[in-house]
Amino acid sequence: MLNSVFNFKFIRFAVVLTLAGALGACATPPLNDPEARAAYEEANDPFEPANRLVFSVNVMVDQLVLQPTAVTYRDLVPDGVKQLVRNFFTNLFMPLSAIHSLLQGDLDRAGQAAERFLTAVPTLLLANTMPEEDPVFEDADQTMAVWGFDAGPYVMLPILGPSSVRGTVGTIADFFIDPVSFVLGSDASIGRAVGNAVETRSRNLEQVRDLQKNSVDYYAAVRSLYRQQREDQVRNGASEPMQPAPTIGLDLDDPRAVIGETASGH
Amino acid sequence: MRYLPAIGLALAFIVSVPTADADSHTEASAQFINTLAERAITTIADSELSVEERRAKFRDLFREGFAVGGIARFVLGRYWRTASVTERDEYLKLFEDVIVSTWADRFSQYSGQKFEVNGAHPVPSVNDGENVALVESRFLVDPTTPVRIEWRVASRGDLFMIVDVSVEGISMANTQRDEFNSFIRKSGGKVSALLDELRSRAGS
Repeated sequence: MLNSVFNFKFIRFAVVLTLAGALGACATPPLNDPEARAAYEEANDPFEPANRLVFSVNVMVDQLVLQPTAVTYRDLVPDGVKQLVRNFFTNLFMPLSAIHSLLQGDLDRAGQAAERFLTAVPTLLLANTMPEEDPVFEDADQTMAVWGFDAGPYVMLPILGPSSVRGTVGTIADFFIDPVSFVLGSDASIGRAVGNAVETRSRNLEQVRDLQKNSVDYYAAVRSLYRQQREDQVRNGASEPMQPAPTIGLDLDDPRAVIGETASGH
Repeated sequence: MRYLPAIGLALAFIVSVPTADADSHTEASAQFINTLAERAITTIADSELSVEERRAKFRDLFREGFAVGGIARFVLGRYWRTASVTERDEYLKLFEDVIVSTWADRFSQYSGQKFEVNGAHPVPSVNDGENVALVESRFLVDPTTPVRIEWRVASRGDLFMIVDVSVEGISMANTQRDEFNSFIRKSGGKVSALLDELRSRAGS
């Protein structure tokens, strides 16, 4: 959630805490029920009990601190100013995006990210100088994905939110890679991360409330959304023909198909 | 000035894509989505409707445009096989009820929004006698944030049905499937536990 830049000591603390918790509470794979075992393997979440615990704390922190702050921000700050704030955080991300686009061998997107940043410098990074193009967001997690590393098991980081083993490594790596965090120093970097979180949260208040209200398993819904969103970002939004749901057919829904095939089919 | 070529390119893309994919079922799929979305925006999103009226209209469109049974079966995942015939029947009904109530309510916020189909391409089908197309579209919730929506449309002859919808790369069917499977697994692998949960939600 809070992207890439964060106080390193804090991250180290968070990682140690998560791993300690995870080792203490690994899910035991169901041995005798083949369906449950297959579902367990598909979820790829061996730290699930620890992750769920961290998740419930994160949800609580969100409800107590982040969400109210984001609501205040949304209601009190004029739309024009909000746009500038959003531009500012986006522009601050561009140096890191440019570096990772290069590491992924994507010169076009590296150029786009660099251009967005450089053209915004005279406006103190407040303007969106390339409004007709989507900003390039690339980070170490995506670079490692492009290089062929699997995401590994799901990891729920304290405060930082959903991640994976690869994502956690990426978050730490980006702290050292991002030139902006060197310029800002650690205090300003924390400020940036907090501001970024409030700004992002203020744009998805309804969606999160909707998801919380309508999911039968909120934790699993967030896990699924996180993974699919990351995969989409790795593909830079290109469609993946065999994903999603390639196997859904019309046999249960074709009114001309043989009657009696319905619920007992397959 | 440097934006002009990009804008020109974008316009050319929007105008030329439906004809570039001359494949007839692909083009028909794009047309199918366009018509269905127009109808949804004009009828379901009408702010004058009562909750019940909106749900009824949504249910009609949902049954007509979506492969509800196929989606429901996919979403139940491996537990479809372990469910009894009675459980399957009740599940199919509850699944439809829950989708209708959640999405009809969501649609109430979409009155008068802009929607545009900007391309379609065929994708491999794993089911005999069926063609599948991915229809790409943009939905403008507000003028500055277009939402990227992909519709997976399966067709058999002149029967067209949506089998999945992806919003910003996130498949609704996959998300629902992961969620239901996790819920059932947590409940000791019992499909009946999910049915209890859905029953309480469908009633609300």
